[in-house]
Amino acid sequence: MPGIMPGIYLFLNSTSRMRTAGRKSSDATLSFIDYAGRDENLLRKRMALRDAAIIGYAETKIMEKETRDIWEMGAEILEKLLDKTGFEKKDIDGLILSSSMTGAGNPFWSQTTADQLALELDFCQIVDIGGCSPTGALARACAAIDAGLATTVMCLYADTQSSDNNRRARGFEAEWTAPVGYLGPPAAFGFLSKRYEHQFGLDYAMLGKLAVAQRGHAVLNDLACEKLRKPITVDDYLNSRMIADPVRLLDSVMVCDGASGLIVTSAKNAKARGIGKYVVPLGYGERTNYRVSENIVDVTETGHKVAGQRAFAQAGLTPKDIASYHPYDDFIIAIMLQLEMLGFCKHGQGCDFIRERDFTHTGDLPLNTGGGQISAGQAGLAGGGTNLVEAVRQLFGEGGKRQVKNTKNALVTGIGGIPYGRNWSSSVVMILAPGN
Amino acid sequence: MSSATQIKDTLNIQREIPPPRSYSQPYWEATRDKKLLLQYDPKVGRYQFFPRAAGIATGHRDLEWREVSGKGEVFSFTIARRTREPFRGHEPFFIVLVTLDEGVNVMANMVDCSLEEMKIGLRVKPYWHPLPNGTHQLMFTPDR
Repeated sequence: MPGIMPGIYLFLNSTSRMRTAGRKSSDATLSFIDYAGRDENLLRKRMALRDAAIIGYAETKIMEKETRDIWEMGAEILEKLLDKTGFEKKDIDGLILSSSMTGAGNPFWSQTTADQLALELDFCQIVDIGGCSPTGALARACAAIDAGLATTVMCLYADTQSSDNNRRARGFEAEWTAPVGYLGPPAAFGFLSKRYEHQFGLDYAMLGKLAVAQRGHAVLNDLACEKLRKPITVDDYLNSRMIADPVRLLDSVMVCDGASGLIVTSAKNAKARGIGKYVVPLGYGERTNYRVSENIVDVTETGHKVAGQRAFAQAGLTPKDIASYHPYDDFIIAIMLQLEMLGFCKHGQGCDFIRERDFTHTGDLPLNTGGGQISAGQAGLAGGGTNLVEAVRQLFGEGGKRQVKNTKNALVTGIGGIPYGRNWSSSVVMILAPGN
Repeated sequence: MSSATQIKDTLNIQREIPPPRSYSQPYWEATRDKKLLLQYDPKVGRYQFFPRAAGIATGHRDLEWREVSGKGEVFSFTIARRTREPFRGHEPFFIVLVTLDEGVNVMANMVDCSLEEMKIGLRVKPYWHPLPNGTHQLMFTPDR
């Protein structure tokens, strides 16, 4: 396609159709060439996300240190999912786990976990793209159902990183970062924040505003880690001690233990089983190793740019249409960067956007209404499930004291892995909506 | 970040010897003579770091090792205030990303650099810190 600028969407002969795509059409002839010259037309068949139905969700309480075994937590999720949906154990023929530090030393993790839960399966796997794994698992569940590999998939996100960490990393760390005292995420976000400040200026009080909104939501969430369920102010945020300048304590997640899960089947099966309420994925984008072939990248730009373009295009929506925002939050600044990359505001103008919006559950852009990982606790590598399951809960209308008014849709993201000298390894974006 | 912060060097830390991979061995061997070797991909005329088994631009393996000056400028920096062994007790110290003049970013510690002097864009040169096995750890110091 000569003359097409990278990074620009082209709505070929279907502009009006895309605008009115609504819930049904997912085959719009939309073309997107990304910065790498990759043509979205090559994805001729768009994943049949909309034919999938999330019929149930479940969560454990997030604990600073869980005393129960991870499989007992998995059993709690399984039982809650069965109770919620009326499905029986034999109905589950697919299992997808997110990665976990607990299972990190076991090359048979999904199989072993299925055995412990006595699940007889036609499809069994683990997704190991870090904090993107839970949302990535949901996308793969939809694909497996669409491909006929399974009819009903349990997505199980469980990790006891705080009490039972079996990680043995084989990457660049031992050779290139451990010798400089680099602990990974905090220092990586220190680099990133310094660059952002250098390139655009950074009003830390605006990051504090996000931290305060999330903390307010954790106070309303009985399942959030108790230690974190105390309100904070912007001054508390600004005065919290430095971890890796300019990253503060209240910018950062606390590693905890916890589990969550979803049960997914085809929309057709859900209807046949008389399930009245379910949630449907409208769009999904995933990118691992954004700009990995370049030596020096702008660390304030992330893979959410391309993942978001794909997700919005599939959903036929724009950022203005998004009713609630559930981004992956390992550090507060990630929330702002994703706002920029997803197109809620321009690159470098996140602080201005934050200043103008209300991120509380009653506000105009509710943010991580369960508290996010930063205020509910990060359930290890399963932490990516926390904000995802909260979004599903909101769309079911079961948010209780923190229920948002607008449940037309919800946007969820993931961030996974910390590479050498860039920002993060994987970025995912999913847009969900009530299916009926 | 208070200006009273006294930043420490990391020269008294007993580091683990970094374990080389089959394809990064030349880098570590050259550090015995305080030489900085980078992988260079002649197909695209570009250096790359950290060493990898394949060229990051093309996926092909016909890479060369070339010696470079190690001079460059600070791309970004952070101050480590909470670390693990063997760095515990030696905080706070700088971790920097340096853009070498050859166009790659390298992560390292800083020697003889105050908080007042540190800034993005600061010119730096290599400082080779000896390791017990005769190789050296690449650090940087201000190129004053």
